[in-house]
Amino acid sequence: VNAGEVKFRPSLQASHAAGIRTFSNASLQEKTGVSGQSEDKVYLTESCVKRLAEIMTKGQYLRIHVEGGGCSGFQYKFSVDDNKNEDDRVFEQGGVGVVVDQDSLEFLKGATVDFSQELIRSTFQVLKNPQADHGCSCGSSFSVKL
Amino acid sequence: VNKRKILPTRAALTLTPAAVNKIRSLLQDKPEYLGLKVGVRTRGCNGLTYTLDYTKQKDKSDEEVLQDGVTVFIEKKAQLTLLGTEMDFVESKLSSEFVFNNPNIKGTCGCGESFNI
Repeated sequence: VNAGEVKFRPSLQASHAAGIRTFSNASLQEKTGVSGQSEDKVYLTESCVKRLAEIMTKGQYLRIHVEGGGCSGFQYKFSVDDNKNEDDRVFEQGGVGVVVDQDSLEFLKGATVDFSQELIRSTFQVLKNPQADHGCSCGSSFSVKL
Repeated sequence: VNKRKILPTRAALTLTPAAVNKIRSLLQDKPEYLGLKVGVRTRGCNGLTYTLDYTKQKDKSDEEVLQDGVTVFIEKKAQLTLLGTEMDFVESKLSSEFVFNNPNIKGTCGCGESFNI
């Protein structure tokens, strides 16, 4: 994503909002859907925040990484990381943090991270990923909307 | 428990110590439940997936596995599928789950949740 482009867009929207409202709204929506700053976010559920608070020590992050593999083309990988790199985005909530690198964020933006607890397994999951078309039943693998 | 003394040549399901400990701790504060019930269900990209539930009573067709003081029932539908399977409990920082090491299966999904026979 071109950084200059992203910065330019909100000011364009603001100056045009009053005059040609319907038009600018429509174009804004289209753009945020693709690469808008406000949508480049990963949401955490309460249970996810609670669980992270239990298992993470200070300075540790839950890293979510998207890689090729799984039965649907892409899969999520969760790991614990003490460091964050230059191209990482950090999403903090309730004192815990999730880091996602820039490439993975392209496939994760707008998604929700949850900690699901069932009898048979308790694990972190990505829910409601707007980038994912259909996933594997277990939710660890998905294919991308084209 | 003592009514069924059919001593099978090999247990339908074996539990690892980790699984036994976990099941024991799960059932400790739930005296109303007899044990856990394992089943299979058609789901997932590879055909079948395991299910696990608390159970209050033993159904007629359930196979009962008693090991180290914990009881696991196997649904009728799952008995052939599970024959000889080892049930393990794997715990890591990020996830914890019951894993079934099933010698009968031909293939699994990438995540290991679904499988075919």
